[in-house]
Amino acid sequence: MTTFLRKRIVSSAIPLVVVVLGVFVLARLTGNPVDLYLPLSATPEQRAAFSAANGFDQPILVQLWDYLGQVVQLDFGESLRTGQSAGEMVLEAFPATLQLAAVTMLIAIVGAVLIGSLAAYRPNSLADRTSSFLSMTAASIPDFWFAIMGVLVFGVSLGILPTSGVVGGPEVWVLPIATLLIRPFGVLVQVVRGSMVAALSAPYVKVARSKGASEPRVVFGHALRNATMPVLTVAGDLTIGLVNGAVVVETIFGWPGIGKLMIDSILQRDFAVLQAAVLLTAVTIFVLNILIDVCYALLDARVRQAVPA
Amino acid sequence: MLSSVPHRLRTRAATAALSSAVLLAASACAVANSDGAGDAGAADGSTLRIVLAEEPPTLEPCESSLTSTGVVVRSNISEPLVERDPSTGDLDPLLSTGWRQTSPTTWTFDIRTGVTFHDGAPFTAEDAAFSIDRAVNSDLACNVDGYVFEDEELGVEATSPTSLTVTTAKPDPILPLRISFVEIVPRGTSTENKVREPVGTGPYALTGWQTGVSISLKRNESYWGEQPAFPFARYVWRSESSVRAAMIAKGEADLSTGLDPEDATEENSIAYPNNETTALRLDGTQAPLDDIRVRKAIGMAIDRKAIADTLFDGLAEPAAQLVPDGVVGYNPELTSQPPQREEAKRLVDAARADGVPTDRQITLVARNGQFPRVSETAEALQYQLGELGLNVRILMSDTAAHLEYQLRPFPEGAGPVALLIMHGNQAGDAAFTTSQYLLSDGPQSTFGTQELDERIAEAGELAGPQRQDAFADVLAYQNEQVAQYAYLAHMRGLLGIADSVEYEPNSATGDELRLAAVQPVKGQGR
Repeated sequence: MTTFLRKRIVSSAIPLVVVVLGVFVLARLTGNPVDLYLPLSATPEQRAAFSAANGFDQPILVQLWDYLGQVVQLDFGESLRTGQSAGEMVLEAFPATLQLAAVTMLIAIVGAVLIGSLAAYRPNSLADRTSSFLSMTAASIPDFWFAIMGVLVFGVSLGILPTSGVVGGPEVWVLPIATLLIRPFGVLVQVVRGSMVAALSAPYVKVARSKGASEPRVVFGHALRNATMPVLTVAGDLTIGLVNGAVVVETIFGWPGIGKLMIDSILQRDFAVLQAAVLLTAVTIFVLNILIDVCYALLDARVRQAVPA
Repeated sequence: MLSSVPHRLRTRAATAALSSAVLLAASACAVANSDGAGDAGAADGSTLRIVLAEEPPTLEPCESSLTSTGVVVRSNISEPLVERDPSTGDLDPLLSTGWRQTSPTTWTFDIRTGVTFHDGAPFTAEDAAFSIDRAVNSDLACNVDGYVFEDEELGVEATSPTSLTVTTAKPDPILPLRISFVEIVPRGTSTENKVREPVGTGPYALTGWQTGVSISLKRNESYWGEQPAFPFARYVWRSESSVRAAMIAKGEADLSTGLDPEDATEENSIAYPNNETTALRLDGTQAPLDDIRVRKAIGMAIDRKAIADTLFDGLAEPAAQLVPDGVVGYNPELTSQPPQREEAKRLVDAARADGVPTDRQITLVARNGQFPRVSETAEALQYQLGELGLNVRILMSDTAAHLEYQLRPFPEGAGPVALLIMHGNQAGDAAFTTSQYLLSDGPQSTFGTQELDERIAEAGELAGPQRQDAFADVLAYQNEQVAQYAYLAHMRGLLGIADSVEYEPNSATGDELRLAAVQPVKGQGR
């Protein structure tokens, strides 16, 4: 297991480094933020002074070297926009996104397992066809449209939910989570159903039934465990997408998460905050990938054995 | 059925259910990073709730000429010495009770007594002198320095606790108007760094700004003037116009800036002239736009009325100059004409016959979110210019990229650029437009002529009716002899307003939303 983990960490760390370097370079290719932060009539001297103060006048490799030196000391620089520590801003925003992602994926996985298993248990039944239709529809709905329609229908017309904002009871979570949930839920129901249909027709299921195992044990004890691998793969990808910033949801509903922070940082050319946000999400995704791989290995001995010592 | 499930499986299921319940319960408690401040506030009539289109980049008072900063700060948190009445254009006393020109280059201001800052310190002429010096003469690089004072150094002296003199290098007949852009802050405010949480003398004091979430104000109980109706005010921001409109409709916010026409109804919005004018700025240094016949042809070909009626939903007036009616220098004789495509085409053909490369690709640069339906407007312009035989491509950009094209030094190698601009003259005097957009070396001007520069300089030294006439002549001359701009429309804004409050917007509302002017509907306020 240790060897497996070591190999996975090494292979996952490479994309992490590439992403961080790529964001550093690409952000600077969008131009010097001097026009955004200095008056319209700033003199060339003022522009030069601003660039020098923030290191933008240095060759990009020098800037990169300085940045890496700071990162090693856990210094992520200051926000050009607010003057606050970029690391603190990112750490303040990230939990709000993690909350959304965690609740969304929990509901999506539990719901998809139940509905997907039910659909697979009686293939081509009314329940199967209904769940397939609804899940495909859910997976196809643009989240932006769904969010706005949710605001208009449930916020304004019916008046039972707040239109946006984050203060209040459970009601403030409903529309953001519903918007985030709809696509992962639709996709996962499809995946669970497909895996379970294959698993339920496998010889070991017939053997289990022939031994007199109850149907719940057959479905959840034998079939579901073997159908979990593809579900885990897809759920992992979907979780990574949510952690990476639920940009649309956070923007529309005023959710103070890292997706909105990243978008604002890009638009404001706030390089330090952008880099810190990308680094944190990249590390989180790196850790998530490791966890998913560990889950693979725990679930399937063939995965552990496939990695040579 | 459950009894047949193995014990281990039941344990796992129970664990999963428990963790789900804990997670959901935890989520129901509070959203991280919200600190209880993410909505617009309670609908109990004590808090005036405003939803903005964007978060202010700063609350620094010397940056109040920035729309997104001024709408929160100006005359709410901090105040200037004098203020311009947006309806009449007259200057009214505020922290100064009177002013007069005491020599050709000196103005004297009488300072109001009995005023205190939010921190309890008394306001004196020393504070006024400090504030002007800080905004105009320091190295803070405030927008007000360049945009309003054109980087001129001022001599500022508090001759007594109640008297202030301001001296200019040359006579400035509109100095009090310029001074109306300087927000007063107490002595001791940093002159090296811009402040994040300003202190002023205004009817509201800042109580908190949670980045990305909200800004909260509290009524200044020791305010020198009439107390505002609402004890508290809170700003939140939602970038989607439809969400802002929904917040007004649901009663979650009382006021909303910048609604899009498709989200506005007669019940939830008021249209108002916002002093903004849209136009194409034509780079006269690059062929084919370096030929005045081509530039004039572009102006002739644009169907302004069609754009105003359809894309702007009638919330605009076709324009023939860069400033709207009500601004000193507005020329009533310059009126928008219907498109003259045949004549325009003849001018382009003539230019082509003289060797002007009229088929060279022109880049039409516009900014996402610049105004409602900006991309459709760019496409309409592309089509209308294409009808002349011009080769136009559209480049939609974000704010930062658009600024690179808008401000000197312009990007090298960009070729001929037609930049879609939206200019707002907040000050009510054409001098603030000409210095930026028409001078040969104006920060937002691509070219000009010596004669135009001289006319602008001469007009700037005049006052009264002569000033009006001189700047009107400048605008006419620009159209006839320079033609750097092809105008679109004088725009109108849409203010979302709930039925819980009463407020009459004016041409300054988009830049300076005075909370003290908002009243609760009878029976709803405290």
